[in-house]
Amino acid sequence: MLIFRYSARELLRHPARSLLAVLGVAVACAMLLDMLMLGGGLNASFRSLLTSAGYELRVSPAGTLPFDTGATIGDASGVRLRLESEPGIDAVAPVLGSNLLIENSRGAGPDEGTDRLFVLGVDPAEQGIYRLTSGVDPDENGVVIGRELADTGLAIGDSISLRAPGSFAEAGRRTGSFRVTGVADFLYASSGERSAAVTLPTLAQLTDQPDRASLMMVRITEGENPDSVAAALRLRHPELEIASVGQLVETAARRLSYFRQLAAILGTVSLVVTTLLIGTIMAISINDRYGTIAALRAIGISKRSIVAAFLVESLLLCVLAAAVGLGLGLLVAGQLERILSDFPGLPSAIRFFVFEPDRLAWAAAGVLLAGVGAALVPAIRAMNAPIAATLHREEP
Amino acid sequence: MSAERAGREQRRLVEARDVRREYRLKGDLIEAVRGISLEVSAGDFLAIVGPSGSGKSTLLHLLGAVDSPTSGAIYLDGSDVTVMTDAERARFRLEHVGLVFQRFHLLPMLTALENVELPMAEAGLARKEREQRAKALLTRVGLGERLRHRPGEISGGQRQRVAVARALANRPALLLADEPTGELDQSTSAEMLELFQSLNEDGTAIVVATHDLQLAEGARRQMTLVDGKIRE
Ligand SMILES: Nc1ncnc2c1ncn2[C@@H]1O[C@H](COP(=O)(O)OP(=O)(O)OP(=O)(O)O)[C@@H](O)[C@H]1O
Ligand SMILES: [Mg+2]
Repeated sequence: MLIFRYSARELLRHPARSLLAVLGVAVACAMLLDMLMLGGGLNASFRSLLTSAGYELRVSPAGTLPFDTGATIGDASGVRLRLESEPGIDAVAPVLGSNLLIENSRGAGPDEGTDRLFVLGVDPAEQGIYRLTSGVDPDENGVVIGRELADTGLAIGDSISLRAPGSFAEAGRRTGSFRVTGVADFLYASSGERSAAVTLPTLAQLTDQPDRASLMMVRITEGENPDSVAAALRLRHPELEIASVGQLVETAARRLSYFRQLAAILGTVSLVVTTLLIGTIMAISINDRYGTIAALRAIGISKRSIVAAFLVESLLLCVLAAAVGLGLGLLVAGQLERILSDFPGLPSAIRFFVFEPDRLAWAAAGVLLAGVGAALVPAIRAMNAPIAATLHREEP
Repeated sequence: MSAERAGREQRRLVEARDVRREYRLKGDLIEAVRGISLEVSAGDFLAIVGPSGSGKSTLLHLLGAVDSPTSGAIYLDGSDVTVMTDAERARFRLEHVGLVFQRFHLLPMLTALENVELPMAEAGLARKEREQRAKALLTRVGLGERLRHRPGEISGGQRQRVAVARALANRPALLLADEPTGELDQSTSAEMLELFQSLNEDGTAIVVATHDLQLAEGARRQMTLVDGKIRE
């Protein structure tokens, strides 16, 4: 189409102006994409993390969330048996978590010369806490260590000494020597956190918490609905907090809702910036052309054709900007992800920015719509200028 | 005079009856055109002269259905243009009127050929035919060698020739030109007159509003405007 060829060349007529507009809108588009990825990414990645080991329910002491407090479930083996006999439940994996100290080669005081370590007590036959990358599950004198510890030079076959924090007097009773049997990825570890796993009875003894568990992970029978199983369990076990992954995700989402609000606000800001930028550029460029527009209309070119040419002009700007901006947005999301994965207290496996093609499409569509909408205003305003009066003003 | 020529001259292209155009500017009433009646027939070549501000441009815009009169009637090729909607008038101008401006008003980023094609594209002509006709028109105005040049790459006189070719794009019976030699030097103006005369010979009716006496004298007839009225 001739009129579209005109639009494209008109942009080339002011290359610096067009380039600035494209870059400005590209930055706004990048921000919009990142905010769309942030807004939707958290929930999705949290859900996939919680279900990654195949346990759909979490059981914790009444009134708490998993690992939210130090509270534990008493008579853990009895509770486990009772839960496993419930209909719709396949398996129960009890977990006890505790901070222990691991001796290192530096210093010699009670707590000097040690590093803090988060140790999980599990039933190696039924657990969804770690995934072995080498070696085998721990026996009663064994320990599986996380990557962070392995990176300090510990290897399978080495011995480490673990003890519960406390006074020297108790230290003897509460110290144990363990042989490293395996190296594993700990699914819920936050960034930089040192993790290890021993058997449940071993940790219970070491921390003087006989037959207790911080949490139980429940695998339900295939085909059962997690929420209904949880609801049924809740009726019969009021002493326990029973939540499905869906409910946990909801709770987490509520806690992290300020991320989404931030995303919503910044996303809106980038659309407003796009609108203002394109609106300004198009208003300037259209104002420059009032005389030409009047002449074109005088020779019979329709308002619709002229408005279409302007819209194509802004659309071209926005398409270029979106192409640059989406690439930029992905790059920036990667950088931000790296920064946020060190967010304290959150499992480092949580992804803040999750790439989904539909987010890309939404960001592009948002920018294109905002841009075209912004161009519509000066374009329509120009069409309302009287032809003869404009020509009169333009002639010397 | 041949019978064919006589027939053409009988065809009335423009008929204006007691046309007035008033503007309100900051509370003042400006009577730019004050009761003008005139006719333009096929084959006519009319020059409208008169002092600055006498209403030449205003009248030309009225005759070309670019502007609407405050009162009075204007028939173009038999159609009452004062009752048409904006869009209908635009379509009418596209198909029946050619316009040339003092400042050319070509699109700077399009080539001469594309500028001439533009009104044809708007009228819905296919690309091939458009291109052929635009080439023929540019050749007709003496620019057969400058088809691919942009307005910035040719002289003022050549630009105005491109503008004339564009005005003829959809084969209008009527060509209106406002001060077409206003930006041209004397010898280029003389060439423009020759172009108009030869287009007129070929049957296009022409009305020019001008200060250029040489151009006015080259027309078949002249009309003088003073204060928005025809001086008898
Ligand atoms: N759009 C307008 N609004 C207000 N007044 C106008 C407008 N157009 C023309 N006029 C006034 O109408 C009168 C006639 O103007 P017009 O442009 O028709 O004169 P002209 O004969 O073409 O003058 P020139 O020879 O300088 O081109 C002038 O007084 C002018 O100021
Ligand atoms: Mg004038």
